[in-house]
Amino acid sequence: MKTAIIDYGMGNVASVQKALNFLKIENIITCNHREIEEADAIILPGVGAFKQGMDNLNLYNLMPVLNEQVLIKQKPFMGFCLGMQLLATTGTEVINCNGLGWIAGTVKKIEEPQKRIPHLGWNDITVTKKDFLTAVDQKDFYFIHSYHFDVDDKEHIAATVNYGKNYVAAIQYKNIFATQFHPEKSQDAGLTLLSGIYKYYA
Amino acid sequence: MLKVRIIPILTFNGFALVKTKQFANPRMVGNPVQAARVYNSRAVDELAFVDIFATKQSRKNNLKIVQDVIKECFMPVAIGGGITSIEDITDLLKIGADKVIIKTASLVNSSFIKKASEFFGAQCITIAVDVFRQDDQFKVLNTAGRDVTMQNFILEIQEAGAGEIILNSVDKDGTMNGFDIALIQEAEKITKVPMICVGGGGNLDHYVELFQQTNCEAVGSASIFHFTQFTPLDIKNSLKHINKPVRL
Repeated sequence: MKTAIIDYGMGNVASVQKALNFLKIENIITCNHREIEEADAIILPGVGAFKQGMDNLNLYNLMPVLNEQVLIKQKPFMGFCLGMQLLATTGTEVINCNGLGWIAGTVKKIEEPQKRIPHLGWNDITVTKKDFLTAVDQKDFYFIHSYHFDVDDKEHIAATVNYGKNYVAAIQYKNIFATQFHPEKSQDAGLTLLSGIYKYYA
Repeated sequence: MLKVRIIPILTFNGFALVKTKQFANPRMVGNPVQAARVYNSRAVDELAFVDIFATKQSRKNNLKIVQDVIKECFMPVAIGGGITSIEDITDLLKIGADKVIIKTASLVNSSFIKKASEFFGAQCITIAVDVFRQDDQFKVLNTAGRDVTMQNFILEIQEAGAGEIILNSVDKDGTMNGFDIALIQEAEKITKVPMICVGGGGNLDHYVELFQQTNCEAVGSASIFHFTQFTPLDIKNSLKHINKPVRL
């Protein structure tokens, strides 16, 4: 299942590729429209600020091709960290701006006066939608974020994480699966999750 | 619940791993790629790799070696040494770094931290604060020629958008005789971002003391892993005994 890892100048493409290579999944790091169209699945990784992320997607003119491949052709899509947040309708990091709008909701700053921000480190997830996440319920994953995705339709939430209160840890809706945590940085738990997803689609 | 983090720190001189004592007398302690491989197999929570001579020798991190280190790691890696520009950070993130560690450039100009934080997000900007005691004060050790207290500097970099602080006790570095609890307590009063406490860990009791007497959520160490039989897992097990959340 050839996977296009979208390279839009927002960080950790190499880490995602390393995880896919380890799982022996054919992949290509690219921002080339034709290569994205030829792929069977798409991963949007990302580290960084929401506004910069959207600016970069627009810089490479990636919105139309992603919309077509994910929303119309319904190819399996995964987003990690910023790659999850960009699915929102609106982002508020640095300045308010529109996201991809695939999952209705807003990305907001984590407000926990008693806690250190960013939420940084290993935290266990509680799975609310079993499909992909059954094998990793209550496992520790690596989180690193100051903003969280406030999802409008709670049916879209696949897992939560507690940091003062419950925040969205994963989203699943049709062919879209996305995580706030970094599966590619979460050692065995992350590799288990990814290999489960690819087995499901195989 | 968020787990406390045990983070081995690899300090590099451009050729090999070295370990200093009170920031002097670097002693060779091995090969960075082999060390990263061992730590990955031991499931450490994170790894930090710092070229501690890059700024002094006016050079950049060796991206080839950094890449080889990161290749071994399926856990998060923070990379530091000689970072002065957005391009430097992009280069490191591109090869798989999750965070960058900045020291001197943050002392020279905090607007660089602001710029980096807005561009990459605060979560990947870690600032190293090397502190020494002078009379009754905690001062920041630096080659940028600034005379600044730890407290003022922490407030300054938090304001600029630092996402994490590595608080390193210069006096305790490499001594393996316990953490500077008073220093850490002082820093905690004003720190709102995650903080990695470094300097002085030599046996398991030191870590228990650190986590009992402070609100420490992350600890970085080098000497204990280079020079004793203790592993990160040993530290986690002893923290588990005092009911700290650990990832085992």
